[in-house]
Amino acid sequence: MIMPRGQQLLLPVNAFFIWGSLLIGLMLHMLPLGRIAWAPDILAIILVFWSVHQPHKIGMGTAFFMGLLVDVQQSAMLGQHALAYTLLSFIALVIHRRLVWYSVFSQAFQILPLFAIAHAIELLVRLMAGGVFPGYAIAFSPLIEAVLWPLLSSILLAPQRRAPDRDAHRPL
Amino acid sequence: MPYGSLDRTPPPFFKQGPTSLSKLLLLSALALFLMVADKRFEIGKIVRISLAAVLNPIATTIATPVLAMRDSFKYVDTISAVKISEQEAHKKLLLQSQRANQVEALTLENTRLRQLLSLKETLKTPSQAAEVLYDAIDPYSRKVIVNKGSVHAVQIGSPVLDELGVLGQVVRVFPLTSEVAMIIDREQTTPVLNTRTGVRSVAYGNPSAHGDVLELRFISGNADVLAGDVLTTSGVDGVYPAGLQVAKIEKVERRADSGFAKIFCTPKANVLGAKHVLILNPLTSIETPRPADEIATPANKRGVKK
Repeated sequence: MIMPRGQQLLLPVNAFFIWGSLLIGLMLHMLPLGRIAWAPDILAIILVFWSVHQPHKIGMGTAFFMGLLVDVQQSAMLGQHALAYTLLSFIALVIHRRLVWYSVFSQAFQILPLFAIAHAIELLVRLMAGGVFPGYAIAFSPLIEAVLWPLLSSILLAPQRRAPDRDAHRPL
Repeated sequence: MPYGSLDRTPPPFFKQGPTSLSKLLLLSALALFLMVADKRFEIGKIVRISLAAVLNPIATTIATPVLAMRDSFKYVDTISAVKISEQEAHKKLLLQSQRANQVEALTLENTRLRQLLSLKETLKTPSQAAEVLYDAIDPYSRKVIVNKGSVHAVQIGSPVLDELGVLGQVVRVFPLTSEVAMIIDREQTTPVLNTRTGVRSVAYGNPSAHGDVLELRFISGNADVLAGDVLTTSGVDGVYPAGLQVAKIEKVERRADSGFAKIFCTPKANVLGAKHVLILNPLTSIETPRPADEIATPANKRGVKK
C-alpha cells in the first residue's frame, strides 16, 4: 500500500459505523430548526468523506439514495439533493487518490469548490423550477462545510485510529 | 499484531462495475426524471409517499425533543409579557364584543335579504383544528407542516386559516401530517375581492429575502386601488369560501412606463409564526344537489324539435 510518509496505519473500517454516520447526518436534516439558508449540509460532508476514504463501499448510488431521502424529508423538489449529492460523490471519487496525500487543512481548501458546486446546482435547479431565492446567506453554507471538514474528518477517522492491541494502558 | 488490525479483503480488481462517468450520467438522468415526475406524473407522488412513510416516524421522534425545548422557552416567558398580552386581549375583546353584538342582527338581516333574493345559503364548510408542527426546511419555498393527515381525512387543496385570515392551502397529504403552502409561496395564487370597491382579482405569492408579500398583477395603472384596502377571498374559485380576510394593500406603485400598477399587500394571517390553524374542506368536495329540471329542459327541447 502506498501512503504518505508518517501517516498512521488505519484499522479496517466498520460498515455499521459508515451507515450509522450517514444515518446521523440524515437525522440532522430532520431537526425542525426552520428555514435557514446558510445551514451547513452535514450529510454532504459525510458522503464526501466516505467517497474519498472508502470509495469501494460508498459511492454515487448511496449518495443518490441519501439525496432522495433528504428531498422527501425537506419537502423539497424530488431529485434536487439527489443530483447534487451524486455530483459531489463523483468529483470526490475523481480526486480521492490525490486528496488523501494532503493534510486535512489543505484538504478543506480543495473540498470547498465541491460544496460550492453542489449548492450552485441546487440553487440553479430550484430557481429554474420557479423557487424562491433564499437570500445571499446561502453563500456561507459551502464555507461552513469546508470549515467543518477537518473536524468531521477527525471524528469519522477516530474509530480507525484506535490501537490494534488494547491493554490496560490503552483501553481505547 | 492482532488479526483484525488490517483490512485483509482484496480490493476488487476485475469486478469494477460500470465506470463512474456512466454511473454519474445514469443517476443524473434519473434525478432529472424525478424532478419532472414530481411536478407532472403520479410516480413522483408514489416515490415521495413511500419514502415519507419510512422517514416520518424517525423525523417525529427527532422533532419531539427540539419542539419540547422550543415550547419550554415560551413557557418560561416573563410575567410582564403575559400581563401586557392580557391587557391587549382585553382591549381586543371589548372591540370584538361590540362587533359580536352586531353580528346577530347582521346575520338575521343577511338571511332575510338572501331569502328575498332567493340566493343559495352560504355553505357551512366542515372544518377541523390542527397545529403547525414546524416550518418546512426547504428554503426555496414557503411551507409549513401541520399535524393532521389523511388519517384525519385531510384532503389535498383544503384551505387553511389561522385566527387572523387565510394562511394557505394543503398541497401534500401524508398519513399523519400534511404540508401547507402558505399564500406567500411563489406557486400559490388566491382569488381575492377588494372589499372597498368590490373588484375581483388574483393575489400571487411573492416571497423574497426582505419581506414576504403578496402581489396583485395585471391591474391597470389607473384602477381604483388604494393602500389600506382589505382583500378577502372572493369565493369564485370553488376552493376558498367567500369573505375570509386575506391581505391588506400596503403599497401601490403607479408607473409611467407600464400600463399596470405594481401592488403589494401584506398577508393578514400570521405567516411567520402561526401555531393553531383551521383546515376547511375545499368547497368543491361538498356535494351540491343538482337541480333536476335544468337538466331535463334542454333534452325536452331537443325532443320537441325532432
